[in-house]
Amino acid sequence: MPSDTQVKRLSTGRLVLHENVAAYLFLLPFLIFFVGFVLYPMFLCVYTSLFDATMGREDIYIGLQNYQELFSDPVFWVALKNTAIIVLVSVPVTCAFSLWVASAISKMPVAATSAFRCIFYLPVVTGSVAVTMVWKWMFNNYYGIFNYLGQNTGLIDKPINWLGDPKYALGCIILILLTTSVGQPIVLYVSALDNVDRTLVEAAAVDGATPFQAFWKVKWPQMMPTTLYILVITTINSFQCFALIQLLTSGGPKNSTMTIMYYIYYNAFKLYRYGYGNAMGVILAIIIAILSAVQLRLGKEK
Amino acid sequence: MKKLLAMLLALCMVLALTACGGQTATNPTPQPEDDQPADDGTVTISLWTYPIGDWTDETTVKSFIADFNAVHPEIKVNVEYLDYTNGDDKVNTAIEGGNAPDIIMEGPERLIANWGAKGLMLDLADMVPEGTYDGVLGSCTNANGAVYELPVCMTAHCMAINLEVFEEADALQYIDLESHTWTTEDFFQAVQAVYDAGYPYVGTVFCGGQGGDQGTRALVTNLYGGTYANPEHTAYTYASEENAQALAALCAQDGITFDPSIVASDEIQNFVNGTFQMAFCWNATQEVNNADALDFDVYPMAFPAEDGVPSLQGGIWGYGVFDNHDEARAEAAKTFIRYLTEDDAVYAKVVEATHFQPVRDVDGVYEGNELMAEYALMNPLMGDYYQITKGWTTARTEWWNMLQRVGASDGSVETILAELQAAQDAANAAAEAE
Repeated sequence: MPSDTQVKRLSTGRLVLHENVAAYLFLLPFLIFFVGFVLYPMFLCVYTSLFDATMGREDIYIGLQNYQELFSDPVFWVALKNTAIIVLVSVPVTCAFSLWVASAISKMPVAATSAFRCIFYLPVVTGSVAVTMVWKWMFNNYYGIFNYLGQNTGLIDKPINWLGDPKYALGCIILILLTTSVGQPIVLYVSALDNVDRTLVEAAAVDGATPFQAFWKVKWPQMMPTTLYILVITTINSFQCFALIQLLTSGGPKNSTMTIMYYIYYNAFKLYRYGYGNAMGVILAIIIAILSAVQLRLGKEK
Repeated sequence: MKKLLAMLLALCMVLALTACGGQTATNPTPQPEDDQPADDGTVTISLWTYPIGDWTDETTVKSFIADFNAVHPEIKVNVEYLDYTNGDDKVNTAIEGGNAPDIIMEGPERLIANWGAKGLMLDLADMVPEGTYDGVLGSCTNANGAVYELPVCMTAHCMAINLEVFEEADALQYIDLESHTWTTEDFFQAVQAVYDAGYPYVGTVFCGGQGGDQGTRALVTNLYGGTYANPEHTAYTYASEENAQALAALCAQDGITFDPSIVASDEIQNFVNGTFQMAFCWNATQEVNNADALDFDVYPMAFPAEDGVPSLQGGIWGYGVFDNHDEARAEAAKTFIRYLTEDDAVYAKVVEATHFQPVRDVDGVYEGNELMAEYALMNPLMGDYYQITKGWTTARTEWWNMLQRVGASDGSVETILAELQAAQDAANAAAEAE
C-alpha cells in the first residue's frame, strides 16, 4: 500500500504531465505550421541546392556544383552588390527617419500623433502592387510627374528615364522601399518613446542634461530592444526586396536593380533552375542569419 | 544559446521564403479533390487560358461552356484566366504542385517548346481536324511527330503607325499603302520625317521584359535580312552582321529610343494615347481591344525590309492537354476540345472570339469584317515559326537583356555584335542543355 507521500508525489507527477500535455497540445497547431511551412521547406531548400533540378525530369545529384557556379556567376555578384547597397542605405535611413518622425509626432497632441501614425502606416497596409503602380506612373519617362515638375521648375532639361537608366533605377527602388518600410518602425518607436520612464528623463533634466543628452543617455538605451527589432526586421525586408523589382524593372536595366531575391526567382521560375535558385537561397539565408546575429550581439553589448 | 537560436530562426525564415520546389514533376500527379470523377459519372476539368482575344472574357468563355454542356452535361469545365505577366509562374507552380490544368490555351512556344518538351503534355495528333494548314500544324508538332497543341487561330504579328501623324509629317510617301509594306530605307526616312515634324518619340524599342518581344525580334531581323534561329530550329543565329547593323541603325536614328523601363503593353498604351507614333507590337486584337481609346486612324504595317518583303513573326494559339495521369479527365478534356474545333459552325465562333485568323478554310468567319480583311493582308508574309527552337526561354530573356545593353552602348556595330554574340552563346548553351 503506497504511503501518503508517495500518493502525493504521484498526483503531482500526473498534474505536471497533464499540464505538459496540455501545453504541447496548445503548441501543436503552430508546431505543425512551423514544421510544414518553415522546417520542411528549409530542409528541402538545402537538399535541392545539391541537385541539378528542373521541371520534367529526375533531379541529378551534383554535390556543390551549384555553389561553385554561383561564385563564378558575375550576375550573382552584381545582385549581391545591389542587395548590399539597398540594405546599407535603407536600413540606417529607415531607422533614423522613423526615429526622427516618431520623436516629432510623439510630442504632438494624441489626435495628431494618431493621424500621423495612420498616414505613415498607409503604404504598409496598401497593396504593394497598387503602391508600385502609382510610383511607376510618377516615374514614367513620358508623362510622369517627376519629369513634369523637374522640367517645369528648370531642374532638368529633358525627361529622365528614372527606371530605365542604370544611374537612377536602383535609387528609385530604394526610395519606394523607404516609403513602404517606415510605417511599422514609426509606430514602434512612438510606442517605445511613450514607454520611456519619464522620471529618469526629468531627473536628467534636473541634473542639467541638455535635451540631446537626455535623449542619447536616457531615452535611447531604453529604446534599444525596439531599435534592435527594427534593425533586424528592416534588414531582412531589405534583403528580400522582390515585388518592387518584379513589378518595376525585372532586374534591369543592365542588371542595375538585380537583387538576390529577384535572381533566385529569375533562375527558379524563368529558367527552371531550381537547384541553382535554392543554392542562392541558402547563401542569402546564411548572410542574413550572420547579419542578424551580429546585430543581436551588438544590441546586447550596447 | 539565445544567439544561436535567433540565428537558426532567421535562417529558417529566409530559407522557407526562398525555397524553390523540384523533383515533383516526374511523379504521378495526384488529382485535385475537386476534379475527381463524381459518383454520377460527372467529370470536372479545368481550362486555363492566356489572354487571347475574348478568351479572357468570362461571358464569352462561359457561353461556349454552356453550349458544350447542352451536349455534354457530364463534363464540368472550370476556367482560370491568366495574364502574360504572371501566367507562366502560375502554371509552373501548378505543375510543380501536381495541380496542372487539364486544358491550356496558348502557343507552341509554351506548349511545344516548353511543357511539351518536358514531357508534360498529351499527344493530340489523332484530333487534328482535316484541312488544318500544314505550316501551322508543323509548328505545333515536335521532332517526334507528337502534336502537343491543337491549333485554333493564327496571326502575322505586325506593327502599326498613327496614320494622321504620318500624313501631317508627309511621311506617307515612304509607304506602299496598297500592300502595307515599306523598305528599310523608306522606314528610316519616314521616322526622320515624323521626328522632324515635332514628334520626339516616333518609335521605341521596348526592352523592360520579354512581353511582346516578337515585335522587337521582327523589327531587328527584317531590317537588313538577319535571322533569329536556323531553319532546323536547333540553334540561334541572331549574332549576325545584319542584325548588328540593324541595331546600330536603330540606335543612331532620331525618334527611335531604346527603353528598358517599358514592355510591349506599355508601348501599346503609349501608342494608343498618342505618345508614340508607331507600335512594334501590334495585331488585329490590339486594334479591337483598344477601339474605344483610339482617337486616330491606326494603319497596320508590315515590318520594314530591304526589299520591302519581310518575314513576319507568326502567332499560333490553340489547346494543349496536360498529362495528369487521369484517363477520365484527359478524355473529357479532349471531348471539350473536339467540340470547339471539329464542327465548322462552332469553330468559326471560337476563332472570331480570338480576333485572329482561322487555321483551316472555314466558311462564315469574319464575313464582311473589313478590319480583319485588312489584317489578313499580312498572312502571306508570315515567316518561319522559330519559337519552338530548344532553349527558347533562355533565348527570350537573353534577347531583351541584350537590347538593354545595346541601348546603353556606344552604338557601334562591333560593340553590338559582341552583345549579340554573348546573348546567342547563352541561348545556344541552353538549347544544347535541353
